[in-house]
Amino acid sequence: MAVYRRSKRHRFLVFLLALASVTVITLDYRGGDQGALETLRSGAQDLLAPVQSFAGRVFGPVGDVVGGITDYGDLEAENARLRQRLEALEGDRLRSEAGERERRELLAILDLDFAGDIPAVAARVVSSSPTNFAQSVIIDRGTDDGVDRGMPVVTSAGLAGRISEVSSSRSVVQLLTDRSSAVGARLAGSGVNGVVEGRGGGTDLAMTFVAAQVEVAEGEAVVTSGLEQSAFPAEIPIGSVRSAGAPPGDLEQRIAVEPVVDFGRLELVKVLQWAPRG
Amino acid sequence: MPAAPGPAAVGDRLPGRARVKLALVLVTLLLLHTTLFVELRVADVMPDVMLLAAVSAGLVAGPVLGAEVGFASGLMADLFLATPMGLSALVLCLLGYATGVARSGLHSAPRLFGFLAAFVASAVGVAAFALAGATLGEAHLLSGHLWVVMAVVAAGNTLLAPVVVRAVGWAVGGPARMKALA
Repeated sequence: MAVYRRSKRHRFLVFLLALASVTVITLDYRGGDQGALETLRSGAQDLLAPVQSFAGRVFGPVGDVVGGITDYGDLEAENARLRQRLEALEGDRLRSEAGERERRELLAILDLDFAGDIPAVAARVVSSSPTNFAQSVIIDRGTDDGVDRGMPVVTSAGLAGRISEVSSSRSVVQLLTDRSSAVGARLAGSGVNGVVEGRGGGTDLAMTFVAAQVEVAEGEAVVTSGLEQSAFPAEIPIGSVRSAGAPPGDLEQRIAVEPVVDFGRLELVKVLQWAPRG
Repeated sequence: MPAAPGPAAVGDRLPGRARVKLALVLVTLLLLHTTLFVELRVADVMPDVMLLAAVSAGLVAGPVLGAEVGFASGLMADLFLATPMGLSALVLCLLGYATGVARSGLHSAPRLFGFLAAFVASAVGVAAFALAGATLGEAHLLSGHLWVVMAVVAAGNTLLAPVVVRAVGWAVGGPARMKALA
């Protein structure tokens, strides 16, 4: 009898804890970005920020070693692929020098650098987020530095992602490779618009909503479309087309986009203080 | 690795000192989770010691403490995730409870039961988190990558289980209880 009563009490306690969890979930949804729970989240992240900065310096090399061991096979294949590519690029280099000079002159005249005159905040990547379900990194800048949720994050190569969480001294950047990331994009050659979506770490991005009859060239540049209400300014490089094609009967192409940003080696980024125009 | 408790150990109230020790263990695990283990990724997946804390509590102290520790460790983990706050708390609370119930149902733990429990419970916990998240609108959690996450988290947590189970056991009962549980 006593065992039965105790078991009933235990189940009631677990029910209460589950109910408390559901209440927290509901409060989080209702509070949105400004709720008390979000403040608690920001506070916790700020509290841990100094420890994370220190630990990032200490444990970073450990991660590099583990990554080197587990990715050894991939590295060998990548090395061979890069050697071949280097040889091809050597030939291209001479031909492209003249074009590059011309491009630089044009950029200098028209100021067409992809960040343009958008104010930016430089930031350092502190660590990756402690989750297995998101591709995101933590940077050492927050609201105190003028960073806000939704702002685009770029490297010198191109678009890296956007700010998804922010506290006073830290921000979380949702990378383009995140499975829930979607960016309005344009094929630079044809001018056709589509959406670039993440497919997880270490894989190409996918460009969708491009009709099957559109001609897409391998190597064609993909940039942000910057359409009205877009979360990103126009013309930021995203990547280049690695492969494209529509399976028979499909109305849409399957386009694999190789990102220009090396997400495995993100160290310094810039947060563009930019908000979508209405 | 210490074995798990028999039914007699299940559901006892913890003295205040043990709760302080348990809080200390959880904070330490959270610090390691957010600093060291984020760097130790295999196939882009890190072990989940906050989940392992809930499983360990269920193993060494039974369903009630398993649920309590799961709730606490889940809430702590939620502070650093973009998924809805309370989601990990809910999943880990139920996982800790289920682990404790499974363990208390066995009169004596078979050899290597702790490792097996850590492996299975970790895989189930990851799947449950993804399913619960997808139910709440986080559809991207249910991708083909989920199998990889389940496998790597289960393997990583199994390797870490001896340490985490010992730490939780130290906090909730000290060496005496751990011996009794072996």
